[in-house]
Amino acid sequence: MKHLDESQLVDLAEGGLDAPAAEHVEECDACRARVALLREALTDAQTDERFEPSPLFWDHFSARVSDAIRGEEPLPEPPGWTTWLRNPATAWATTASIAILLMVGALWRATLNAPVFPTVTAPASNAAAAPPAADDVDRDDAWAMVRSAADGLAWEDVTAAGITAHPGSAEGVAMELTADERAELARLIESDMKGSGAS
Amino acid sequence: MASERCVERPWRAARVVVPDAAMTVTGDDRALVEASLAGDRSAFDTIVERHQRQVYQVCYRFMNNHEDAADLAQEVFVRAYRGLRGFKGQSTLATWLYRIAVNVSLNRVAVKSPAFEPLDRVERADRALEAADAAILREERARDVRAAIAQLPRKQRATLILRVYHELPHDQIAAILGSSVGAVKANFFHALANLKKRLDRR
Repeated sequence: MKHLDESQLVDLAEGGLDAPAAEHVEECDACRARVALLREALTDAQTDERFEPSPLFWDHFSARVSDAIRGEEPLPEPPGWTTWLRNPATAWATTASIAILLMVGALWRATLNAPVFPTVTAPASNAAAAPPAADDVDRDDAWAMVRSAADGLAWEDVTAAGITAHPGSAEGVAMELTADERAELARLIESDMKGSGAS
Repeated sequence: MASERCVERPWRAARVVVPDAAMTVTGDDRALVEASLAGDRSAFDTIVERHQRQVYQVCYRFMNNHEDAADLAQEVFVRAYRGLRGFKGQSTLATWLYRIAVNVSLNRVAVKSPAFEPLDRVERADRALEAADAAILREERARDVRAAIAQLPRKQRATLILRVYHELPHDQIAAILGSSVGAVKANFFHALANLKKRLDRR
């Protein structure tokens, strides 16, 4: 058996004439007890009678309110979300912004759906002649030569020469060079080594 | 003054007088609002006179003493005057004022515990007719009821006050509290159940 919900119980406690609900209460002890409890609470609440102030109070009260609002004006209506659109400049700016957004969106969609052209792969012989990638230090022949030349240098000699580099700093600098810069560095070192008679 | 009508409820022994202005839309109220907005102070005075009792009674039920209720009722009308342009006539003026009164009262009791009216301050016309002992018992019970209502959760408390002491229909209470009729009935159910529980503990 399905019990009455809160709304039905309130209606019954207040004397509502819902026939099926009333029939249910006749048969259901639990619902009948709940309706009785609500009615008792209503009766209890009614024991606190209405407090009525002195009739003179109302004359004073009207005067009090009148004094309190003297010098005041009703506040302007709070702005709604469409109020700012009443300004022509704002309305035009909004329209222009929406138009630009629509155009950008259309262009983006056109780019997204554009046909993809097949990429042409270079022959293997050409690939060998191609310069290494800018950040591929290990495959850079010029940098390999610099590295081999530096291998022969003793750290004490470098320090004695006044070069105070931290471990790894030269590698770090070389990593930041482009392939062209590294080739130029290698050329300078090579010419210097030839000049000094080093092999 | 607004006309008054009598409503008899099955669970109530006595007939209750309910201000008609609280139940119906009156073109007169709308005209008074427009006149007030046009700068006619006497029009707003009329609004105050027409609705001051209902506003005061809401405040009294929350504050449980005359001084605080009078201050709060004044604040309700000052706020109503300031916000008069916001009244669009989507509800009755009475419902709008009830809403302000309930919100102002709930905010006040949240920051200040109301001081209950001392028993000897309460004047009742029929007190002389009652036996002294019965009157005292009745006052004590009423005091217990007030204390129990003051402990109810905000929405339950507001719903019970508007339903029991102002006799407002559930749909008007829903409009005042900004909720559905179903929610109002559920709140009323829990308010009564909690009230009974608290009173039985005393």
